[in-house]
Amino acid sequence: MYSLHKLLWDIRKDPNLADRYLADPDPILDSYGIGGEDRVAMRELDFKAMYERGFNPYLIYFCAIQLKVDRADYYAQIRGEKN
Amino acid sequence: MAETTGRVVGAFTASHSPGITGWPERAEPAKREAVESAFAEARSRIDALAPDVIIAVSVEHFTNFHLGNLPAFAVATSDSYTGPVTKEMGDFLNVEQHQYPGHSRLGRHVYEFALESDFDPALVEGGLEFDENFCVPFKHLDPESKYPLVPIIVNGVNPPWPTVRRCHDFGRMIRRAVEAQTEVQRVVVVGTGGLSHWVGLPESGQVNTEFDRDFISRFESGDESRLLSYTAEEIDAAGNGAHEIRTWLVAAGSVQVPFDVLAYEPVPEWLTGTAVAAARI
Repeated sequence: MYSLHKLLWDIRKDPNLADRYLADPDPILDSYGIGGEDRVAMRELDFKAMYERGFNPYLIYFCAIQLKVDRADYYAQIRGEKN
Repeated sequence: MAETTGRVVGAFTASHSPGITGWPERAEPAKREAVESAFAEARSRIDALAPDVIIAVSVEHFTNFHLGNLPAFAVATSDSYTGPVTKEMGDFLNVEQHQYPGHSRLGRHVYEFALESDFDPALVEGGLEFDENFCVPFKHLDPESKYPLVPIIVNGVNPPWPTVRRCHDFGRMIRRAVEAQTEVQRVVVVGTGGLSHWVGLPESGQVNTEFDRDFISRFESGDESRLLSYTAEEIDAAGNGAHEIRTWLVAAGSVQVPFDVLAYEPVPEWLTGTAVAAARI
């Protein structure tokens, strides 16, 4: 789990990384060694899946905000009200 | 003149929801008034106590620490702290980014005393930056940032957490540390966090008033057996953010007297059960 936790934290801390992730996520996912279902969830910005897979909700939420996801949209998604 | 030892002359606790400073107007006016009046009362009492230093105990929300290095406790020994960590967060919290003074010598003393007392906190000699943990409550409690701080961080954001008993013991250790030195005479302890709230979770915006009122009852009773009987699972019922009550336990341990809750309001618009309390000293 650490690889994705690290990416979530790094995006929280580094706006430049957040911009680069939004522009082209795959090279960054590669460089963090994130594969499998974690990669699918992060690539799709499927925060609900990340939560269900046990990632820390603070880090998921803070990363979402840094990736310019609207707070209301984040919570709608995490509640399963929208994808 | 004979040297006298330092004393913990007061202890206070408060919630630190970003909404308290960031969007106070969204709360019902009576609730906002109750909370802000309680903060003003706490500020007035702190000023009357004329502390030389405030030992400020909170969690931090992955602003400094992360899952590659997450201490259960950390003691900071810098002479200055930046908060809020970014200008963006400053805008979000409605707190202007600035430097908070630190008291590095008392911080160093507390760290060393902790090690001698069989605690093993992380040492943070510099670089610790504040988020809402300190910036929100201290906007009300010390708006001019005139009191030097010794920040202490308790993990309240990722399980497993230190037990509530360990947090209380840490607070008791803080008092012994203060009393084991003579340089700083008057110390106030401030713990910030809680009460019930959910961060990043489907329940976000709910308030567990039953948990909050029961916690307040235990906190006001001064009955340590009731206060220290919480399991992590019981706290979970009030949300991942409720684990921040550990900071209240540290503050309680530093004085070991009942507290008076100056205000408690469930404020869904701030996403928390919001409270301010003062030790009955």
